[in-house]
Amino acid sequence: MKVFLLFFSAIFVNNFVLARFLGICPFLGVSKRLETATGMGIAVTFVMTVSAAISWFLDKLLISTGLEFLRTIVFILVIASFVQFVELFLKKTSPDLYEALGIFLPLITTNCAILGMVLLNSLMKLNFVEAVFHALGSGLGFALALVIFAGIREKMDLYDLPEPFKGTAIALITAGLLSLAFMGFQGMVKL
Amino acid sequence: MEVIYSTLLLAVLGFGFGAFLAYSAQKFKVEEDPRVKMITEVLPGINCGACGFAGCEAYAKAIVKGQAETNRCLPGRPQGVEEKIKKILEEYKNVSF
Repeated sequence: MKVFLLFFSAIFVNNFVLARFLGICPFLGVSKRLETATGMGIAVTFVMTVSAAISWFLDKLLISTGLEFLRTIVFILVIASFVQFVELFLKKTSPDLYEALGIFLPLITTNCAILGMVLLNSLMKLNFVEAVFHALGSGLGFALALVIFAGIREKMDLYDLPEPFKGTAIALITAGLLSLAFMGFQGMVKL
Repeated sequence: MEVIYSTLLLAVLGFGFGAFLAYSAQKFKVEEDPRVKMITEVLPGINCGACGFAGCEAYAKAIVKGQAETNRCLPGRPQGVEEKIKKILEEYKNVSF
């Protein structure tokens, strides 16, 4: 039961972008087109899930050897390796998406949502299955936020906006409203 | 003791992930047009943007695709970069990639 609660709370209640305000940089940077937003969401979900699984074992190893102070650097190492892997994979399989994501693809390494999620896993003392589902939910929540936002922004391009609101200004207002909407989920799941 | 353990742990992890990445880099290798690399080497490599592209490599890619003229590199003009590019293109004209 706890697994499902963790999974859904990570998507809706504790959405990383809209409730915890982590990973805002790609949220604003790659949300101009629905296609790139989807690609980014999938890439982040993959990196999150795999690094959560591997980090869980490494965390146990670090605790048993008394080297907890290495947590951050070890987790960053895991995340960076898998981001590199995703980059190689995308370059081969989907060069268009690779071009469209541009600098934001290697920047997943420094996406605080991923490091935050891995550190949260070890802070909340989750077991392996819970950690993986928490990561999967967080990734899907990130993807969901990105896709919703990109959809709105794509439509908004067609609107006749007042001059001062064009571009980033209206995007930031929209992000705030989206976050307000997600506040409706707040308190639905108690963990 | 802690120092030795942490050094060892990080070394092993780094080596492990490095090996994994080296393997996947081989597996997902992208075959690039060799002319792009050759033209990039001929260009000055200062990425000044005078040609109107993001950098020397982007310009080289555009030349190979036939989207750009060969005379757009201003800083390379005294060294005869244009002639060198033309030579490369001429040499590989009949080779299909």
